[in-house]
Amino acid sequence: MCGIAGVVYKDKKLHPVGDALTKMLDALQHRGSDSAGFALYGGLGLDENEYLLNIVVKEKPGLLEKVKETVNQASPIKTEEIIPSVENYKIFRCRVTLNSFSELKTMITAIDAVEDVVVLSGAHSFEMIKDVGLVKDIAQRYDTYSKMGTHGIGHIRFSTESIVDRYHAHPFQSYIIPDITVVHNGQITNYWKIRDPLERKGHVFETTNDTECIVHYIADKLSQDYPLEEALEQSVKDMDGPFSYIVGTPHGVGIAKDQLGLRPGVMAENDEVFAIASEEVSLREVVDTREIDQISPGEVRAYTI
Amino acid sequence: MQEFTIDAGGQPPREVNRTLKEKASKYKKIVIENPNAAHYLVAGLTEPIDVEIAGSAGYFAATMIHGARVHIQGNAGWFPADNMTEGEVIIEGSAGDGVGQGIYDGTVVVKKNVGSRTGMIMKNGTIIVGGNSGFMNGMFMMGGRIIVLGDIAKDAGESMMGGTIYVGGEIESLGKNAKVKELEAQELDELRELLTSYGFQLEEAQYQKFRKIVPWSKEPFYGKETEEG
Repeated sequence: MCGIAGVVYKDKKLHPVGDALTKMLDALQHRGSDSAGFALYGGLGLDENEYLLNIVVKEKPGLLEKVKETVNQASPIKTEEIIPSVENYKIFRCRVTLNSFSELKTMITAIDAVEDVVVLSGAHSFEMIKDVGLVKDIAQRYDTYSKMGTHGIGHIRFSTESIVDRYHAHPFQSYIIPDITVVHNGQITNYWKIRDPLERKGHVFETTNDTECIVHYIADKLSQDYPLEEALEQSVKDMDGPFSYIVGTPHGVGIAKDQLGLRPGVMAENDEVFAIASEEVSLREVVDTREIDQISPGEVRAYTI
Repeated sequence: MQEFTIDAGGQPPREVNRTLKEKASKYKKIVIENPNAAHYLVAGLTEPIDVEIAGSAGYFAATMIHGARVHIQGNAGWFPADNMTEGEVIIEGSAGDGVGQGIYDGTVVVKKNVGSRTGMIMKNGTIIVGGNSGFMNGMFMMGGRIIVLGDIAKDAGESMMGGTIYVGGEIESLGKNAKVKELEAQELDELRELLTSYGFQLEEAQYQKFRKIVPWSKEPFYGKETEEG
């Protein structure tokens, strides 16, 4: 099934978005328990050209040093942090400065080349948190409750095709343009038809997961100056299968639903908050209203700040 | 013993429903407080009692009930009243997809908008939508009636085999095997009586706008493709 959620604070100020999304996702926990994840926007406060890397490292003698060495070769590590995960893995987080965004993917590819290491995210304006297990355990591990931000998206996963690990937890990120993330409930059944033209343009796919395909598709459209809403509308025309997915950008969130309406999506808002989710039970954590909109088949909604 | 209250807060739906069924033979009315849009509330209740859900319900609210009158004060998710055989489900707010899916009898009333595929494969009974309806309303329906006071989205009556969809607003498009007809005077009287009984106050001009969607042929797939009168 999977559960998806997104929230935007309309005043553009910092709010406890981590706490809000943790509650929204916990309310959707019954939709899957494989993994959970967050992309929390607006609270990182990095300087220009600074990036936060989120790297999964297996507990193995010397491996962390090798990762640090690889990062330092590209750019000196400015700050670092270790977050213990489960199943013999840890998360290495570090902050680096690059000359430009275009150096980020090259650096990530070099780090990914180290065995038993994978980069979860390289972000300037959002914080990626994703791990295996239940959302409350992950929230505790990464202290999502204290994270401030302007908006964010989140996911709890019931995996279908691809494997269950930290990398395949949602959100997925694309590096075609900075800081684009996607969480997704469903399947894209014309996956190769969507992927082929993107690869021909030179976009790199790391997995055969259809959510990665969506995030590259949207990032590609946004890189061509499509407004978010139009990019979502075009995706509904181009993609087959049952899906509803939420995109996070530095400026807001948006949802798209397949033309047959085979995956759920509901929305609620008030003067302060715009919220979207798989089910009403999730919306009720952040919007105190009985006015719920059903997202119609083929419909998209977006809110940008 | 008249009324019993269940606080659903923090309880799984299975526990709420177990308590509900235990108390259903002893009380005339049961109120479920703090439902918090949980799924499967009042599933399979066969006692003819009143149940009030004091908030929103999730998926499959009042599925497979026989005889109960269920009043949902908030919204409902997907498939409320699914496969009901007798009884009444009233939803004060909006509802998701598949309202009254496969009902055999009884009445479902949604005061505001509904999602897609309302009344899919229904055999009999009545579904009233106070607002607008999503697409493929009445898909594969075999009998009964759906009444939409507002607009109805595309592919209305998709592959319908029987029954009638009354529409007070605009019809975006018809599905396969569906056609539009004018109402008989007697049908208008029935609508007036029914809608008034559920508190819908319509002007006469609004009644005059109603049209109905019925099957084009009763045997569209296996019989001769001939239009029914």
